[in-house]
Order: sequence, then structure tokens, then C-alpha cells
Amino acid sequence: MSSTTGAEIVRLEGVTKRFPGVLANDRVDLSIMGGEIHAIVGENGAGKSTLMKILYGLYRPDSGTIYLRGAKQSIDGPGRAVALGIGMVHQHFMLIPAFTVTENIILGHEPSRTFLNFKKVATHIGELCRKYGFSLDPGAPVSSLSVGEQQRVEILKVLYRGADVLILDEPTAVLVPQEVAELFNNLRALKAAGKTIIFISHKLDEVLEIADRVSVLRQGRMVGTVEAARTDKRALAEMMVGRPVLFDLTKPQVTPGDVLLDVSGLTVPGRGTRPVVNAASFKVRAGEVYGIAGVEGNGQTELIEAVMGLRKPIAGAVHLQGQAATGLTPGELRRRGLAFIPEDRHKRGLVLPMTIWENLILGFHRDPGFSKPSGLNLKSIMSHSNEMKKRFDIRLSRLENPVLALSGGNQQKVILAREFSHDPRVIIASQPSRGLDIGATEFVHQQILKAKGAGKAVLLLSADLEEVMSLADRIGVIYNGEIVAELAADQVTPQELGLYMTGGKRQTREGVPA
Amino acid sequence: MSEMTTPNAGQAPVPETPAPSRRRFRLLPADPQARRFFWWQAATPFLAILFASFIGSLIMLAIGKNPFMVYAEMFSFSFGRIDSVGTILFRATPLIFAGLASALSFRINLFNIGVEGQYLIGAVFASIVGFSLKGLPAFIHLPLVILAAMLGGVLWAWLPAYLKVKRGVHEVISTIMMNYVAFSLMHWLIADIFIDRSQVIGAGGYGSPRVRMPLIEQSARIPTMHGFFAHFGINFPSHVYVNWLLFVGIALAGVMYYVIWRTPFGYEIRAVAQNPDAAEAAGINAKRQMFRTFLLSGAIAGLVGLSDLLAYFGYLDIDFPRGRGFDGIAVALLGKNDPFGVIIGAVLFGFLSRGAEGVQVFSGVPAEVITIIQGVMILSIVVAYEIVSRYIRIQKKKEAQ
Repeated sequence: MSSTTGAEIVRLEGVTKRFPGVLANDRVDLSIMGGEIHAIVGENGAGKSTLMKILYGLYRPDSGTIYLRGAKQSIDGPGRAVALGIGMVHQHFMLIPAFTVTENIILGHEPSRTFLNFKKVATHIGELCRKYGFSLDPGAPVSSLSVGEQQRVEILKVLYRGADVLILDEPTAVLVPQEVAELFNNLRALKAAGKTIIFISHKLDEVLEIADRVSVLRQGRMVGTVEAARTDKRALAEMMVGRPVLFDLTKPQVTPGDVLLDVSGLTVPGRGTRPVVNAASFKVRAGEVYGIAGVEGNGQTELIEAVMGLRKPIAGAVHLQGQAATGLTPGELRRRGLAFIPEDRHKRGLVLPMTIWENLILGFHRDPGFSKPSGLNLKSIMSHSNEMKKRFDIRLSRLENPVLALSGGNQQKVILAREFSHDPRVIIASQPSRGLDIGATEFVHQQILKAKGAGKAVLLLSADLEEVMSLADRIGVIYNGEIVAELAADQVTPQELGLYMTGGKRQTREGVPA
Repeated sequence: MSEMTTPNAGQAPVPETPAPSRRRFRLLPADPQARRFFWWQAATPFLAILFASFIGSLIMLAIGKNPFMVYAEMFSFSFGRIDSVGTILFRATPLIFAGLASALSFRINLFNIGVEGQYLIGAVFASIVGFSLKGLPAFIHLPLVILAAMLGGVLWAWLPAYLKVKRGVHEVISTIMMNYVAFSLMHWLIADIFIDRSQVIGAGGYGSPRVRMPLIEQSARIPTMHGFFAHFGINFPSHVYVNWLLFVGIALAGVMYYVIWRTPFGYEIRAVAQNPDAAEAAGINAKRQMFRTFLLSGAIAGLVGLSDLLAYFGYLDIDFPRGRGFDGIAVALLGKNDPFGVIIGAVLFGFLSRGAEGVQVFSGVPAEVITIIQGVMILSIVVAYEIVSRYIRIQKKKEAQ
């Protein structure tokens, strides 16, 4: 399969895919040129993944045709797609940690059934790495690799199987800025070698940086394809959402007041001998957003659970509004003015099969306003729910429907409405915009800044650096369960944060207020 | 917030939420999709009953009987005679309590298999209070006996509940063990401690005394409902023991429905059952709620034996009916843990047991055939629910993608 730079390599015509009740792809046309980096952007549920799964043979389209190098093809499974030179790198890696890079790459495509010459295979993989500028040791076990390196293994896996067309599903979602830069270098090398790359994303800055052309999907329909050099973020966002989007969040200028949340030396035991959270200390003041940045899995979840009373720390203390609050139950903490937006709203935030109104009062259902001696006060609950619906613009058809019927953004609004409506003093927001589309993210961000403006103390955890930097006043970086740096948000670059997040740098102990 | 109320272009305008409906006890879900699934779920027990009857027909054919004739006999014997109707209601009474006790624990994802032991201990407590307190008026004595029965059930549920919440011991294991202990303990208390030694042996010194506790005072007996039914022109003969506990059971089902759906306590049960992590994060003490619900289940279980004890036998002996607790699990399953579903399930079981007598006597079909139908019915209901819920899950997933 020679390089086909310049000519059309993939063509989709009128691809339609319907799921019961949802039109995931509606007569989508798409043309991908050989040797280009083609980004596909759109909000959650716009049909990006469905379209790519059709191209990779995971779904069959209800109608429409797929042409490859000008020939009509019926792709009835991933095996067929691979045979046609199409490879897909999924968002979640499928690697065996105990195996080496080489073993993982050849898994399922072993060159021989009887005797494996690992040396020869490793040499071949080494050549591939050199050719595309991948820095990887083919003999290293995957468990010793960073997330970025694991992603390279996944890409190599696809290349090893002879793919010309690589589909990357949200590849930057799991990476820190340095890793993103390296990925982009790899992608440029692949492009120079004549490979075609389809890049799914919703991060517009990255798309504009790496892509040659950008196709925008909205609600299952192809809005259009534009050249990256001739568009900008604002125009793309408008194509995605269908209305102008405000990007510049103006932080309300508030003089920070008293310390409302004081965490000192908090240590949480892990599964092994090392604590997952090691002597974490920080203070959040009234009218301040304190961001905690970190690569996922560095103790953020455990830290928040310990603060929220969901997990027992072995050392350290939490003070809420100046009063000792260590070891209190979540219920007691909430009564003292702590609100909680959990990172996983399906696990910790909502009871999905229960109705919207029931979820709007979860935890407050025994408040005198909502319950009478004879039982729940449905009248006041319903009027409260209707008020929340209006105030937080929750788009729902009936309050009696289960909350699982709502979209992710509206589910998050239910949580925001519940947590913000009881006048909390301190708000813990963990990954508050995860999985939300642009409109809902914008809403969540505005609510957080509004809370700050109203003099509340906000502790914000996010894996999204852009989010932390645009909302927070101060940023604590967590690495390996420790707060390794504390920085003012307006005096730090993403690159510097990335260094701290990956353990490449740490502040001296004096820099961190004990 | 005003800047946020601009509707997303392209998104269909969302209609205003209609004012909360006056009818609080909505039977059908409002959402069309949910309504469709509701009908699917509602139909499952009936399909399972049909399937079980079909299997029963095959067995009847195998033993050379005409299934249509047998089923016709079963129906005419059960519903064509007033004493059969009364018997069905009498037999359904303990099953209502057993079904409610099981259903309540299932509601919070606990599998209380110990209703069996809990009701035996409840009956022991009731019997002791029933025969030992003398000279009390019925309006004091009877409530005391009922409270004693509930206390017995709670005590027997306490240990498994404690072990579950504090030590993580699975309640199925511990309650099964407690059932054995309960039965042996009951035997010992009847045969060795409280045995009625004042029994008069039959004339001439023949016969032997019953192994039973002393007779329960009249003031602690439950009256039959014959007088009540006579108002409606239904006259049950005296060999029918349908009693006021039937009324209590139905009322209890109504109370349970209200508690589950309309009180903070029931709200917490549902929240803990469907997402303990979210309930906990919202400040609900999930373990405490499980503990309390389990004890409440035990309290209801304690009432299971009262209909037999106080309206029929009038004493507790070592042959006191057993197995009602296990029937209760089946009844709860049939009723989908819905209090009113439990009543329907209990009446169905009462009908099957009465019908079995009819076909045995008049059609020559062994009662065991009906027992087989009963077993197949339970199995097919479990399977049918699973199939339907899997179907619904797949549909929902498809629609969500």
C-alpha cells in the first residue's frame, strides 16, 4: 500500500446510523485526503465516535456508502478494517501491564504460531520507532511506562498491523501538555511518512494546532469541513454549538476573606505501605477558588473523599470555618455548610433510577421544608424543584422522570442546583465539567465563578489544566499523593504546571505553606 | 442566570414542566418509554403463570389426565364454594406478612432468608405472652401478644443485621443458620420448658398428651371475620378461619407502600438500595438504614405465625406450620417487592394450595402436581423478570448511544 498523499483516501457518503430514539449519524458525507491530519470535532453526542466506529467496522451503517481509495467497501468488522489499512487507537488503552512493549504490540498478530523470534520482532519495532521518532524501549514492560508512552505503544500496535489510516479517539484527553507536544511531533512524523490521521477531539486549540482540515459534526449532521489555517476557535465553536460561545471567563475580583477550609497534613492510607495522600496541606479562603491540578490517579480522589468524610485519614486535620471537622460524617459536614460536586456523578452524585425531584433533594430530604411529620412534603418539594429547574436552566420534560433520562449536562445541573441551593460556605467541585459539552461547561464555570463572587470558598479539582488555570486563583499541584507546588494561577504557564504534575520539578518545602 | 436562558439553537424548545399533577399516586409512569417498559414488566408474572400452567399440563397429560378438565375442576372447586374462598383468604394471610417482610428487606438489597426463623421465634414469644398473662381484657392482651411477636422477630433479625453491618457477614448465610437455631430453640422451649403438664389424658388413661405449650387465653385470640363478611351476605361456615389478621395484613401493605414512596425513611431505603455511594455522599448513613430496615423486616416476619397460632390452633406445639418464610420469598418475588403485588401473590398461593386439594380429591391428580406448577412458576418468574430487565437494559443502552 503505497502512500497516497494528495488523493482522496476515505470517502463517506450519506452515512446514517439510527439507534432506537436517536439519530446518531444523519446522512453524513466526509472526505479524507491521503496524508492529511483531519480533525473531527463536535460536542458529546454529536456522533463523532459513532461515525468512526462505522469506519472501523464496529457498527454497520443503516444506509450510506464507504469508499476507500476510490473503491466501494463494505466494512463488516474491525478485522476487515485492519486488512484495508485502517487502524484505531481507542481512548482507553488495551494493554497488558506485565507484558513488554514488543509483546503487547504483536499480541494477536504474532508473526509465527510455533516459535517467536522476539529479537527479530523487537528489531522491527525498534525500526518503526526510529522511523517515526517514537522514543520507546521495545523491551520495557508496559507497567513501567507513562501514560504518553503507553499511548505510543497503542499507535505502534496499529502501525505494526500496516495501517495507513489512523483513527485517534480523543488522544489528548489523558495527556499533560508536554506529552501532548510529543504526541503532536509523532503525528507530524507520521504525516511526513504519508500516513493519514483522523483525530477526534473537542479541544479546539489542539485541533487548530495539529490539523490540516477540520470537520464539524452537530447532532449527527455534518456541519462542514474547513481548513484549519482559515478558521479560528470562535468560528469552530459556533459551528459546533450552533450559537456564539463566550470563551473569556472574567474572574470576579474579590479580596479573599477568612480561611473557610483548612486542610493540614492530611494523610490517607493506600492499599500498599505508601499513603495515597501524603501530608497534604492547603487553605481555601472566602471568595477564592483553589485549584488542585494533577494527573489522574495521584491521590486527588482519596484526598477529596477524606475531606468529605467518606474515607478515614490516618493523620492530619480538616477545619471548616475555623472549627475542627476531621472525622465528621458527610451528613454533618453538609449541615455545616460544605457542598460537594463529586468527580463521578453517576457513582457519588445521583441515584440514577430515582426521579429528578428526588435527586434534587437528596441529602436534604429531612429538612423541615421538605418533610412533614406525616412524610415527604411533595407540594413544597415540587415548587422547590420547579424553581431549581428555572434557576439552573435544567432541560427536562417532567420532574417525575428518572434522572438517568437527562443528558450529562443536565444531570450535572441537577447536582449543582442541589448543592448550591442550600447556601453552602465551602464548595468542593471535583472534575465539575467532565464529559460535558461546551454549553454545559460554560454554565458550570460561570456558576463556580459566581459562587466565588458571592464570597464562598471553592476547592476545584480538575484534570483539565485549562479549566484549573482559567478558574482558580491559586493552584496546588498534586503528584504521588503530595502537594508538590503551590502557585498563583496568573503567574504560571501550562508547561510549568505540567512539569510539576509529572514529578519533573517540585517546590522546596518552604514554598508550600505547612 | 439570565444570560444562560438563551436556548441552544437547533435544540427543540423544551416545554414548560406541567404543574405537579394532583394525583400523587400515579400508577403509570408519565414518560412514554417508561410506560412501555412498565407494561412489559407488569405482564411478566402473567406470562410466567401461563408458562407454568403449560408445564403442568404436560405433566397431567403424562399421567393420563385432561389438563383442561383438571384446571376447570381447580377453578370451580376454589371459587364455586364459599368455604374454599374463605380458606384461600385464610391461607393467604400468613403469606401476606411473610411476603411483606421479605419484600421490605429486598427493597434495600438485603436478602432476609430468615423470615422463617423470625416468625417461629415470634410465635414462641406470642404464645408465652398469650398463655402466661391471665385476666387481661382483650384490648390490652391482644396488642401485647402482637407486640411480643414483633419483638421476637426483631430479636432474631438483630444478630444477622448486626453481623452484616459491622462485620460484613453475608445475611443469607447468617439468617439460614439462625433458622436452624430458631427451630431447635422452639422445640426445646415447647418440649422441655413450657410444656403444658396439666393436659388431661383421654378417658381411661389412653392416648398421650400433645407436646405443646399451654392454651392461649381467649383474650389473646384473634376473632374471625365471619361477622364482618355476613354484612355483605357472605356466610363462611365455621370450619373456615379467615380472621382479622387478613385485614391487618392488607392495611400493613398500604402502610408499607406509603412509607416506601412517601416518607424520608422510605426515600432513604430506595436511595441506599439503588446507589449506596451517592446516598452516603449526600449524608445518608447507609449502614444504619440497612440495619433499621432489616429489623423492621424482622418485626413484620414476627407476625407471620399469628394467624395460625391465635385464630386456628390456640396453642403452640412442635408441629406448628413451617415453611411460611420460604413461601414468603416466593410471594415477594411474584409481587416484585411491591406491597400490593405481595397481596396478589399471597392470594395466588392460597388459591393453588386450595385448588390442589380439590384436584386431588375430585380429579385424582396428586397435589404434588400443583406443587410442581408452583415451583415452575417461581422459576419462570425469576427467569422472565431477568429476561425482561435485560431486554429493557439493552433497549435503554441502545437509545442512550
